[in-house]
Amino acid sequence: MINDINNTGSIIQVNAEDRDLGISPIPNDESEYVYAKSFLQKGSTVTGENLYDHLTEVLNKILSERPENVVDFFEEYSRKVKEKRFRPLTDHLEDIFVAPGRYKLANRLMPLLKPLAPDEPSTLDPEDLERADMSKNNMLELLFYFEHSGLGLPRTEMFCLTMSLRQLIRVAPIANIRFWGKIFGMQKNYLVVETQLKEEEYVKRNENYNVQEDNKIEDLALDQLENINKQEEEIAGEGEPKKIWDTLPPIPKIQYEEPPEPPSEPSGVGVNKKVYYVCNEIGEPWVQLPDVTPKQIRVARQIYKTFTGDLDQPIISYPHFPGTERNYLRAQIARISASTHISPLGFYTFGGEGMGEEEEMDEEMEAGNKTEVKENLRYDPVPIKDLTDKSMMFWVHHNLHILNQGRTTWWNPNPLPEGIDEELGEEEEKPTLLGPEPETGPPLLTPCSEDVTLDAIPAWSVRCSSGIAEEYAVAVVRSNFWPGAYCFATQGKMFHNIYFGNGLKFLAPNFSPTPLPPVEQDYPTGPEIMEIVDPTGAEEEAWRIAHLPKEKPTKLAAGEEEEPEEEEEEDEDEDEDED
Amino acid sequence: MNLDEILNTLHISEQSGHVISTEEGIILHNALLILQNENHFRKIFFWGRIFGTDNDYYLAYGYRSDALHDRIFYYSTNCLNWGLLPSPTEYAKKLTPLCTVKFQGDPALVLDVLLEKDEISFGAPLQEPQVKKLKEEDRLSATIFFINQEVLTLPRGALFKRADGVIVENLSFEGLTTLESREIKSFLHFRVPTQKWNTNLLTRDDYNYAIDFLDPLDTDIPEGCWLQNLTSSEDIVVLKSLYWPGMFFYHFLGTPRYGFLYFGNGIKCLDVPFFLNGLYPIYEDFFAGK
Repeated sequence: MINDINNTGSIIQVNAEDRDLGISPIPNDESEYVYAKSFLQKGSTVTGENLYDHLTEVLNKILSERPENVVDFFEEYSRKVKEKRFRPLTDHLEDIFVAPGRYKLANRLMPLLKPLAPDEPSTLDPEDLERADMSKNNMLELLFYFEHSGLGLPRTEMFCLTMSLRQLIRVAPIANIRFWGKIFGMQKNYLVVETQLKEEEYVKRNENYNVQEDNKIEDLALDQLENINKQEEEIAGEGEPKKIWDTLPPIPKIQYEEPPEPPSEPSGVGVNKKVYYVCNEIGEPWVQLPDVTPKQIRVARQIYKTFTGDLDQPIISYPHFPGTERNYLRAQIARISASTHISPLGFYTFGGEGMGEEEEMDEEMEAGNKTEVKENLRYDPVPIKDLTDKSMMFWVHHNLHILNQGRTTWWNPNPLPEGIDEELGEEEEKPTLLGPEPETGPPLLTPCSEDVTLDAIPAWSVRCSSGIAEEYAVAVVRSNFWPGAYCFATQGKMFHNIYFGNGLKFLAPNFSPTPLPPVEQDYPTGPEIMEIVDPTGAEEEAWRIAHLPKEKPTKLAAGEEEEPEEEEEEDEDEDEDED
Repeated sequence: MNLDEILNTLHISEQSGHVISTEEGIILHNALLILQNENHFRKIFFWGRIFGTDNDYYLAYGYRSDALHDRIFYYSTNCLNWGLLPSPTEYAKKLTPLCTVKFQGDPALVLDVLLEKDEISFGAPLQEPQVKKLKEEDRLSATIFFINQEVLTLPRGALFKRADGVIVENLSFEGLTTLESREIKSFLHFRVPTQKWNTNLLTRDDYNYAIDFLDPLDTDIPEGCWLQNLTSSEDIVVLKSLYWPGMFFYHFLGTPRYGFLYFGNGIKCLDVPFFLNGLYPIYEDFFAGK
């Protein structure tokens, strides 16, 4: 106690001495430190934070993380620490569990990852139960080659796709299935699967073929329209015969007649040979796309629209596209398949079994338009050197060319006796009489070297997947007209056509929309509807004087008052006529 | 695209369908490391691939100190021998948009570019059609310039402007959150900003001088020319431009991993106004007679 008192006494004494001498105090580490610290700890009047704690935290973070060149990002660190502090500590949403992003995906994929239920014993014919061959649809194997070609989808997606296809063939009557590709849309993408249904299914689908012709529907609509028009005319006729209506010409009629619409090809034939299933993402149910009509293909060639990812999205375009995005997607798939599906020479033949190549060629010449190709069981793989030859001699088309009409086979628009389309014998003679020349496309299995080049752009570019190890390489062919269409062929007996793109064709000059047709004339040109120069004041005056009533010169004043009114009325009538 | 990711591009292919094949990746990885060493680049990136009819161009770039201004581009037709890409000339910049043919893959090739009558890229309207010569190498360099100007993209915060004006990669970048990734404003043009320095700052309330010095994507027209998609697993955000089909930007949410790739034919698509579908609900109302 005594010591303490003394000490305090001495400090007071020293301080007193300093004050007396008027000299600044000797720097005292301790007091400086206390002073500085208390300054740093002074809380902000706005937020109540203080620099001391902040610096401690920042330094703490930096020391624990030890980033490189930290001085350059000091402000950034400081800001981050500050930001963290302002996050409320009492998070009221804490109790709510937010599902991780992958949760939805996991939920969708789980059903695919379970083993398939064993087949139930069925009384049906075992042939009916036969399912599509999945041995060629191991997507992981396919992915191996895709990767060689510089293409691919994530491994999960490919694996689950295999599983998904396996389920699809159990529920749909599919005889043959193949992964067609992926179309990237604005919001969502489409995974597309190409299938060939079983024969019975095609028969079933075509039972209603003749009844459901599009033409009939259009005719119906036209009939209804005409009826409405007639009714309107009648109503107009029954109405009170007004004076001005006498001068009105009849309502104009549409002179334009739609050219007859070619009927769509039945399911299982031509462009509708294959049936396509799509889905936005793996795990979602597969949706079958409707068959395509020739008109849809023709319009699809004239418009340039991206896909949105919604099958029911209306296509707003000129010319009007008949259908929604579902039909547009189907039309584009048909176009892409027709022009980009190619195979190595000799993989497919025209089905003549046990024939040499020359004989086949002869047969091709004879038949002209063969529409069926079969896998060549004795296919001898084309060497990679030939496959990667730039002339594309060793690649052939195995899908039918789509004619301008929108069909793969030509349909004669004006057969002589109406309604008899199917008598082929007659049809052959008619074109010579009637004039329209049947459109013809290149026959099946035409080499790609004969494809047209557009504006000096060759149709195909071919690459070898490897420059080092040629013995394992695959030949990769890329379409220059349909960016995203690829085909690869291994040195074994495998090839695959694939499409990864936005579903639009490459146009060398930019797209130019179809111009609107010229305006149709409502009425034949005549004095009633011609535009004429208004009479000048002087002319009117002259006319008035020329038409002055002469027989009653005494009542001149009254006549003058009446006449201008009549004139005006007449003028008005004329005006209305012109309108 | 960062060199480390070249060998594993499969998981980002969901929205593009393109990958770098294993052989290509290994060659690129090693060749670019050697290129980096020769040029003393601080970092080197793979830029993409331009499809030619006969040969493809591979492109890469690196920088020494400034991540934005010092970029130096290299190109190759076989991934092995890399040549310096010349800087774009004014002449090539004017002619490139008029080329409609595809790249062929031979840098020494001289193209004939047809200038139509009344073409105004060279000042006064032309009296008659004219043919000008353009070397494919120059065209390539001008094309790269345009793509960089228009669609090269970064997530906000990935680059940092130091107090001395040098732009460096932000080491404390922690990636965008899911919420931020839904906004097109969170992505910036990786180019020398074309707008005044404060224009971009004023459009957001949480601005930061060191980060918001680049132009955001939301000023691009028409609205909808950028496709912004999340992958199905919702951990990667993908940006694609309709103007340059084949351009592809990805960012792993919540991580500093991001990258840019171009796999395309190097031709700008000018048909965007025609092919936007479903973005204008007004038209639908109109057709429905409302």
